[in-house]
Amino acid sequence: MTVHRLEAMGCEIVAAGIDPETVARVFEEWEDEFSLFRPGSELCRVNRSPAEVLAVSPLFARALDVALDVAEDTNGLVDPTLCGRWREVRLVGRLLSRPAGLALDLNGVVKSLAVDAAAELIEGEGFVSAGGDIAVRGPVDVALPGGGAIRVVAGGLATSGTASRGRHLVDPRTGEPSDSLWEQVTASGSSCLAADVAAKAAFLLGPDGPAWLDEREIPGRFVALAGDVVESRLWTGALACI
Amino acid sequence: MAADSRIERARARARSAKALIGASTLLVFGVAFVGAKVHAPGHAKGKTSPLGAPKSFERAVKRSIAQGGVIAPAVQPPPVASATS
Repeated sequence: MTVHRLEAMGCEIVAAGIDPETVARVFEEWEDEFSLFRPGSELCRVNRSPAEVLAVSPLFARALDVALDVAEDTNGLVDPTLCGRWREVRLVGRLLSRPAGLALDLNGVVKSLAVDAAAELIEGEGFVSAGGDIAVRGPVDVALPGGGAIRVVAGGLATSGTASRGRHLVDPRTGEPSDSLWEQVTASGSSCLAADVAAKAAFLLGPDGPAWLDEREIPGRFVALAGDVVESRLWTGALACI
Repeated sequence: MAADSRIERARARARSAKALIGASTLLVFGVAFVGAKVHAPGHAKGKTSPLGAPKSFERAVKRSIAQGGVIAPAVQPPPVASATS
């Protein structure tokens, strides 16, 4: 299986089983729509707009709809407003309504959605990874933070933490960068989005992270700042059953 | 007297006939009205609900956001790594 590497969304994209130009096109489409660093992106235009009600594009509506579902599922831990005000954002079809001045940040879901969108285009077996957040089609072995590897048989795998960019994950409960006791949390999900959301939420929950994943039957692996590795019940079970 | 009596009897029969026809008409109308209310398609008989995907479908879609994937022990050198970015 030939592995292709390229740059997009400020991180390394690794893909196999798919034409790299197709992958680049998918990521460019999502970045063009949602980048906070491109003044012409739809996200920047929405955030600049003084209007309380706006018509947004189908792709924007889809991503925001997912982001609001994720906020609901995580009780606001992964929040598109980053400040606990996600319930004030309403989306009806393509009509977005939110209080004037309330900025959106969809980075919590956009990268993993782009990974899933690119992986949808794989015919046969392969994978797409963006900065280490992966969606697979067919089994793929993946190296883990802190050493070791695991086989992702179906769905996705994602890691959140402070290892590469420091304390960049904002805890919406405090509005401050998280001071989680974990350095990195890796979670397995039914998609890259599911894995990414689970990893972020478990990271932000600190000591309650492993129990939160166990309640939802999501396999997860935690690397503590001190270097200790903690595995959730399902992670340990998945590795022990074969 | 006999003629009056015959006329009176005829009038009485006519009144009875009119009453019978009126009652029959009311009965037929009432049965038709109730039948239409109960059986005619397109008549709402209960509380309406919005069109859209069933709640079970929506729940299934939402559940997939918080659903674990499938993992197993690695068997080959990994071509890719999971890490924070």
